[in-house]
Amino acid sequence: MDQLSSADTETPEEAAPATDDAREAVLAEFTSRLGDGVLGSHIRVGDDLWIRVDRAHWLEAAEVAKSMGYRFFDFLSAIDWLPSPFGRDMDAQEDLVVAGTPAKEPEAIVQGYAGGDTRFQLLARLYSISAGMGITFKCDLPDDDLTAPTWSNVFAGANWHEREAREMFGFSFDGHPNMINMYLPVDFVGNPLRKDFPLLARRVRPWPGIVDVEPMPGVADEEGEGE
Amino acid sequence: MTAVSDPQSVAALVAEANDNRVNLDFETEGMTLNMGPQHPATHGTLRIIARLDGEQVISAEPMCGYMHRGYEKLTEVRTYPQINALINRIDWLGSFANEVPFILAAEKLMDVEAPPRAQWIRTILFEMSRVANISLFLGDFGLQLGGMTAGFYAFRDREWVLNQIESATGGRFHPNFDRIGGLKDDLPKGWIEESHTAMDKLLAFCDEMEDLLVGNEIFQGRTRGIGVIPAEIALSYGLSGANLRASGVDWDLRRDNCPPGLVYDQADWKVWTHPDGDCFARTWVRLQETREAAKIVKQLLDTIPSGPVMAKVPRIIKVPAGEAYVATENPLGEMGYYVVSKGDLVPFRVKIRSASFNNISVLPWVARGAYVPDLISILGSLYFILGDIDR
Amino acid sequence: MGLVESGKLPKPLAKLLNISRKYSIWAYQWGLACCAIEMGAAFASPRYDVMRLGVIPFPASPRQADLVVIAGTVTDKLAPAVVRLYEQMPDPKYVISMGSCANCGGPYWDSYSVTKGVDQLIPVDVYVPGCPPRPEALLEGIILLQERIAHEDMAERWKGGPIVVS
Ligand code: SF4
Repeated sequence: MDQLSSADTETPEEAAPATDDAREAVLAEFTSRLGDGVLGSHIRVGDDLWIRVDRAHWLEAAEVAKSMGYRFFDFLSAIDWLPSPFGRDMDAQEDLVVAGTPAKEPEAIVQGYAGGDTRFQLLARLYSISAGMGITFKCDLPDDDLTAPTWSNVFAGANWHEREAREMFGFSFDGHPNMINMYLPVDFVGNPLRKDFPLLARRVRPWPGIVDVEPMPGVADEEGEGE
Repeated sequence: MTAVSDPQSVAALVAEANDNRVNLDFETEGMTLNMGPQHPATHGTLRIIARLDGEQVISAEPMCGYMHRGYEKLTEVRTYPQINALINRIDWLGSFANEVPFILAAEKLMDVEAPPRAQWIRTILFEMSRVANISLFLGDFGLQLGGMTAGFYAFRDREWVLNQIESATGGRFHPNFDRIGGLKDDLPKGWIEESHTAMDKLLAFCDEMEDLLVGNEIFQGRTRGIGVIPAEIALSYGLSGANLRASGVDWDLRRDNCPPGLVYDQADWKVWTHPDGDCFARTWVRLQETREAAKIVKQLLDTIPSGPVMAKVPRIIKVPAGEAYVATENPLGEMGYYVVSKGDLVPFRVKIRSASFNNISVLPWVARGAYVPDLISILGSLYFILGDIDR
Repeated sequence: MGLVESGKLPKPLAKLLNISRKYSIWAYQWGLACCAIEMGAAFASPRYDVMRLGVIPFPASPRQADLVVIAGTVTDKLAPAVVRLYEQMPDPKYVISMGSCANCGGPYWDSYSVTKGVDQLIPVDVYVPGCPPRPEALLEGIILLQERIAHEDMAERWKGGPIVVS
C-alpha cells in the first residue's frame, strides 16, 4: 500500500532510487559480460528490467543470466508487433467497409520497451530468487529467418515453451530436441498468435456486443458473456 | 490400443521405439502405454504416452492440447473487463486467484491503486480460492491413490468455502468479482463471521486430512521417496508454488515479491518448505499451505479497514501504452500476466504464464525410471489443472 | 427383448421397463474442464448426492454406461475422442451436455481451437446451460432426462438399425 503501484516519477520516493540502482547494476554487469550483444534496455524504476539482445547472443544471454543467479525460468514466448488487421477494433472496421465507409489504415509497427526493429520479438523472463528481481529478455527475429537457438539446454523448462512458440508463431529453434506440436492438431493450418491470423468465428458473425467500442454513456458491458 | 493418430507423435514414438529391446539382460520388449486423454488420474484430458520396460517407465511424454482454448488469442479481441471474465476459467479451481494478477498488471499500467478495503477483500478472497483449490487437491490425490473417503470429505468441506465465495461474489466458481481499481461490490452483511466459521471448518478438515491421508501408512508408502525433484532441476524447469517449496527452495511470491495491491504483509504467516522433494513433501507442503491460507483469512477478516471498495476509474477502461508483468502466488504456483498495451480498449498481447504448464513439463524428467503406479503418485502430487496447462 | 425389436411391446411392460431404466442410469462422467468440478460436486459430494435420483455415477468405462455427461469445453483436438467414447457406449445411450462450452462454445465462441457445441459431434438429449451450471442445475437436467426416458417409446426407437454417428 505504501509502495507506488507504478514508478512514473511524479512523486519521488525514497525507496525507488535504491531498487533502481540494483537494476542498473544488474544491467551494467550483464552488459559487460555480454559485450555488444545488448541492443537496448529499459528500466522501470522499482519494478522491472527489460534487455534486448542480439539474436547471435540469445543463447549466451541465457548462460550469462544463469551464471548471474537468474536461475528460475519463468517463461519464453514471443510478440508479434504487427498491428492487427483483425483486432477487435478492426471488426468494427469491417462493419464500416460493409456500410461503404473506408476502413482506417492499420498503423505502423511500434515496438515496446527496449526497442526493436523487427515484427517478431522473442520474449523470455528469468528470475533470481536471491535478488528478488526478474529480467525480461527480448530478441529481434528477422521476418525472413524466424529461427533462434534453443534455450532448452540451459533451462530445461524452455523446451515446452519453445514448442509452444513454434506452433503459435511459426518460429523454429535450432537444436531443440523435440520440435512437435504442443497444443494444436497436426493438421491445423496457421499460427494462431500471429496478428494476421483471423478468428474465423468472428468473421462469420461479428460479436453483437460490438457497440461498446464506442464510448457510451450508461453501463459498460462488464459481465462478458456466459454468466 | 494406443491409437496415436498424429503423424508427429508417431514419428516421435518410432524414434523412441528404435531401441525396442530395452532391457538387454532379460530381452524384454518395450511397450507403449497410452494414458488418456480420458483417464481418471489426469484430471481431465491430459494424455501421457509412456514407454515401458515391464513395470518401469523409460520415458513418459505428456501430450497436451486437448483443453487448449486459445486464451492468449482471445485476449486480443476482448476488452479488459471481458478478459477478466474469461481468465477466471484458466485455473478453474481457484478462479478468483486468476483474476488478481491480471487486474494488478492493468492497474500498474493505469497507475491506479485499489482502496485499502478492496485490497483486503482481494487478499481474503485470494486465499479462500487457495483453500478451495488445495482442499480439493488433497481429496483428489487421496482418491487417485485409492482412498475414496478423502475425496468425499474434500467435496463436503470445500462447500463451506464455496458458500462464502458465492455469497460475496455471486459465483461459486467463476466470480468475476475483481475490477480494475477495486472490487465489484462490498461484502454482504454477516459475511465476516460466517467466514470465520468456514475457515474453522477448513482448519478442522486439514487436521482430518492429516490423520486420514497424510498420516496413512499406505499413503506414505506410495509417496515417500517417489518422484524426487532436486531444487536445481525444479528451478530450471520453472517449477513454482508448492512443487518448488517441496524441493527445499524457500520462495513464495506472497512474501518475497508481493505485488502492490495485496496485503500479505498485514498477516502473520509462514512459508513452509520441505527438504525431500518427493511426492509426500509436495502433499505435505500443500496441506500446510491450506492451513496458512485459512489463518491468513482469519487474521485479515479481523482487520478489514472500512472505506470504499472502488477507486475512481473511468467507465470505459483504456489502459495506457506500456508493458507490465505481474505474477502472484496462485494455488498452483506462480501465475503471471505479461500485458502489452497500446493504449486501446483491448490489450495488444497478453502472455499468460501459468503455473501448471511449467510444473508438468518436468514430468518426462521425473517419470524416467519410475514404476507405473508411481506415475499416478507423481502426476497427482505435481498437481495440475488442465486449463492451466493448456490455457 | 425380441418384443422391443419387433415393435410389439405391450404398454404396461414398456412402462415398467422405462421406469426401471429411468432409475438406474449409469452415468459416465467425462470431466473436461471447469464444469467437471461442478459435476463432481453433484455426483460425488454428500451435499448434492446424485444417487438419490437413481443415477450411479461410477462406471469404470463407457462400455458400461447409459449416460455420458459432457461437462466442459470440447476442443477440435478432442473431438475424435468424444465421438469414439460415444460409439463405445451400448444402446440405449443418452448424452447430457453440461455448460455453455459443451452447448455452444460458451466464452470461447470465437476461439480457433474450440468446437462450438458438442451437438456437432454427437446427439445431445439434454442441455444444461450455465457457466458453470450449478450442481442443482445438473440434477435438474438429469430429472429432465429421466422424464424423457419415462415417455420414450422403446419400440419406436429401436425399430430401425443401430444409431450410427458419422
Ligand atoms: S461452460 Fe464455463 S464453467 Fe463450463 S467448461 Fe465452459 S468455461 Fe468452464
